[in-house]
Amino acid sequence: MKRRNFLSLTAGAAAATGLAEETACGNSGPADTTTGGGSGGGDAATYWFLSGPPGEPIRQGAVDRFNKANSGNQIKVTTFQNDTYKDKLKTAIGAGQAPSIIWGWGGGGLKSYVDAGQVDDLTDWFAQNAAVKNKLFPASFGPATVDGKIYAMPAETVQPIIVLYNKEAFEKAGVAAPPQTWSELMSILPKFNDKGIAPFSLAGQSRWTNMMWLEMLFDRIGGPEVFNNAYDGQKDAWSNPAALDALGKIQELINAKGFVKGFSSVTADSNADQALLYRGKAAMELHGSWSYGIIKSDGGNFIKDGKLGFASFPAVDGGKGDPTNVYGNAGQFLSISSKATDKQKETAKKFFASMLDDTEQQGWIDSGGVPIVQGSNAKLASSPDKDFLNFIYDVSSKAKNFGQSWDQALSPSSAETLLQNISKLFQLQISPQQFATNMNATIGK
Amino acid sequence: MSVSYTHLAFTIFGIVPLIGVLVLSFSSWTGLTQNVPFSGLDSWKSVLTDPGLPHALWITFLIMALSWLAQTPLSILIGVFIAGHQRYRAVLAVLFFIPLLLSQAAIAITYKMLLDPNFGLGASLGWGFLQQDWLGEGKLAIGVIIFVVSWQWIPFHSLIYQGGVRQIPTAMYEAAEIDGAGRVRKFFSITLPQLKYTIITSSTLMVVGSLTFFDLIWVLTAGGPADATRALAVDMYVRGFRSGLMGPASAIAVILVLLGLGLALLVRRLGGRDAAESQLEGI
Amino acid sequence: MTIVLDSREAGKAAHAAPSSNGRRPRWMQYNWLGGLAGWLWLVIVLVPIYWIVITSFKLQTDYFSTNPLVPPSSPTLENYRFVLENHFVRYFFNSVIVTLGAVVPAVVVSFMAAYAIVRGSAVSRFIRTVNAVFLMGLAIPLQAVIIPVYLLIIKLQMYDSLGAIILPSIAFAIPLSVLVLSNFIRDIPKELFESMRMDGATEWGTLWRLALPLTRPALVTVTIYQGLQVWNGFLLPLILTQSPERRVLPLALTAFQGQYNINIPAVLASVMLTTLPILVLYVVGRRQMLSGLTAGFGK
Repeated sequence: MKRRNFLSLTAGAAAATGLAEETACGNSGPADTTTGGGSGGGDAATYWFLSGPPGEPIRQGAVDRFNKANSGNQIKVTTFQNDTYKDKLKTAIGAGQAPSIIWGWGGGGLKSYVDAGQVDDLTDWFAQNAAVKNKLFPASFGPATVDGKIYAMPAETVQPIIVLYNKEAFEKAGVAAPPQTWSELMSILPKFNDKGIAPFSLAGQSRWTNMMWLEMLFDRIGGPEVFNNAYDGQKDAWSNPAALDALGKIQELINAKGFVKGFSSVTADSNADQALLYRGKAAMELHGSWSYGIIKSDGGNFIKDGKLGFASFPAVDGGKGDPTNVYGNAGQFLSISSKATDKQKETAKKFFASMLDDTEQQGWIDSGGVPIVQGSNAKLASSPDKDFLNFIYDVSSKAKNFGQSWDQALSPSSAETLLQNISKLFQLQISPQQFATNMNATIGK
Repeated sequence: MSVSYTHLAFTIFGIVPLIGVLVLSFSSWTGLTQNVPFSGLDSWKSVLTDPGLPHALWITFLIMALSWLAQTPLSILIGVFIAGHQRYRAVLAVLFFIPLLLSQAAIAITYKMLLDPNFGLGASLGWGFLQQDWLGEGKLAIGVIIFVVSWQWIPFHSLIYQGGVRQIPTAMYEAAEIDGAGRVRKFFSITLPQLKYTIITSSTLMVVGSLTFFDLIWVLTAGGPADATRALAVDMYVRGFRSGLMGPASAIAVILVLLGLGLALLVRRLGGRDAAESQLEGI
Repeated sequence: MTIVLDSREAGKAAHAAPSSNGRRPRWMQYNWLGGLAGWLWLVIVLVPIYWIVITSFKLQTDYFSTNPLVPPSSPTLENYRFVLENHFVRYFFNSVIVTLGAVVPAVVVSFMAAYAIVRGSAVSRFIRTVNAVFLMGLAIPLQAVIIPVYLLIIKLQMYDSLGAIILPSIAFAIPLSVLVLSNFIRDIPKELFESMRMDGATEWGTLWRLALPLTRPALVTVTIYQGLQVWNGFLLPLILTQSPERRVLPLALTAFQGQYNINIPAVLASVMLTTLPILVLYVVGRRQMLSGLTAGFGK
């Protein structure tokens, strides 16, 4: 009895692991046209990306134009919603069924694909196609680069973190302009609170929204190297005095009622945080530049009536960081699956070279975004959103340092620990010191 | 005959993957490669020494116990009530049924919006006690999960109890009335004991179901705030799919399976069957 | 059980005069506690549903500027049009196929397995082992085994078909169904089996003519429970299918979530359209279902 159990167990285990190997091997051959996933399916390159406005029609349009112009190289598209896309992609990659073109966020996620040998090195291709590379913002290649090699094609738009504010709320509270310094920021809080307006909106349940505050504060106080040291695995990097100062300042802001009441229950995916801003319940919000598009579509006449203002994150008195530094998404990042066939890879590269043509650039501009193309500001003048778009172009192109969102820069497991500790920090459950200790423990892992 | 077919279907999709998970728990797989690097007991060591494990176990237990405690008495009460043959009670039973039909995602969106401190129910009605930091405070968030689970499943369990109550022969009540038993005594001396097997069925579904409870917690709180609602299934998912640590995630999956097995056996024992089983079935 | 009951009743009747059955006033007979719970719960159930209904007639742009509990001043059908244009009907029929295809075989097979386990455990070591294995399957979280399941489906060349959702759904429905059903079959008095055997019935005949009618309440319970699980299942369809032609309703919900935002009224309109047909089905079939839940022994 015992013996039989044992035998069947090992047989099953062998079957399970054997399966994984077989699917992996079977991938390059022509026989896999019937298997699912991405890389199979004949000659056409497969391309998965996010569904929904504003990006989907623009991405789809780019593919359609490419397919029309290149009858010999076709791309087959499948779209997914944000959260489900990440799960789907991970499962597919794990099973050796990734799409030929992997749409992603670069940084730590890309590095994990590189470590697993799942994506191709594009350094040589970019060297041969200098025109493609030189067309784009140099900063956009940061998150595409792992250990000095480029593994992804930067695409789409640049999305810095900025301060959005409600001019009407400022008028009501008698505040003339958004704060230029941190001490000014702290000093105007009571003026808003006295009028029953929350100084800052924050979708605290979503955690990465809180993280944007730390990114900016760390940089303003100690410069980009504070986080970069932690990223590079320097021992006790999170205990840097600048880091502790920034963590303390955030808790001071929370204690001074800087954020909307109950911010930990506000979710970003429902856009309730933007609603607080355009409904005048909050005066300001620190958020990615994409929130402009959300306010434009959901906020009625708020933008048309000129009530939305925007500014850079304030400087911190005596801080070492350059006040032009900014964090955010330097673009989206498209990689080529190493499991794709040669034909699919060829198609993908052709497609990369065709990306961000004038039509696509115009599409992004119309959606309220700035394409990561050098000199795209020339196209902004005719846009009804030109004030905002020019501001974003300036913020992004003039930044001394354009830092990548921490959760996307870090390895997936460190990012998860980071977000959890940020959640605790914002609930005042842990002190800055404890935060640093917890995060130091992840260094070197 | 039938057993072997069932067994086959179940083996392929239930047991083979389970063995796969067991194998993976001895690996340091990231979920991204096709070869699985083995690392002996490393995953198990890291999981068993992680203070996150007892915490996740505690949260799992808490959600299981509290949701059972919240659902069972109410389900019995409502079940007894709608077992009456009045027409309006039939209408009530229809209305109670609706939450069951909604997907977890729909329910989570609904409650996230209703619990929003600025645009939700509390703000709409102006009732201060509804304007809590529902999803931002650990204890409240657990309460919200229990409530939403109950909201969705009490109707179902009420229906089971309604069926159970209608099975109780009226003669028993008549006999008790003759003895002069009041409503309360009839409930405790007839209804409750007669519902024993219904209670076991409903509790099995509740308790075992709560172990694999994932979708709702995930969309409602994602295990947060911080780790306040990070039950085992959520913990496993975060480690495996978010952090790319398939080894430790698989170890947690194995723990979950063992827990489920233990619970199923416990429920059977509480049913008082095992002792008499062999004789009974020996016919 | 029936026998015990009868004798007790007979005993009672013997020494108590039927005339003195002491009727209490009507209001005291009303189940106040149950009534309170029932009505209170009705309110709790209805508030979110009311919100879903009225919000599905609002425009996304109005959502945050109107009171969530006040119906829209100018209701719009825009969301419903939007949902129906997004292949709602196809998703709906896919969902129906998947649910029926998974639940019917799962319940039938579980019922037969449960019968075999109850009736055969004492004589067959094999069946006891099978039972133990089933129990193990109880708490397998789908998320834990999704990658091996995915590999299996690809290996079986079933990826991106409705069958890819159906087969694992059946497997995952079996353990709990078998547990509940076998508990129920165990409750059938052994005298009944005995008398069936005396009448010369085969095991197969006993299964259908004795066990089936007596297990009906549990069968109905299990069918509804598993049906809802499959109907609302999200992970299996997400991972195991890909093309829009194979999408089921829970996946369709995410179609209204953009990269940065979510069209709440459209999601709710889709929820309404998903729910209504089932609700109608329930209202029509309720009598049947209730009698299923109530049928059983002791009558």
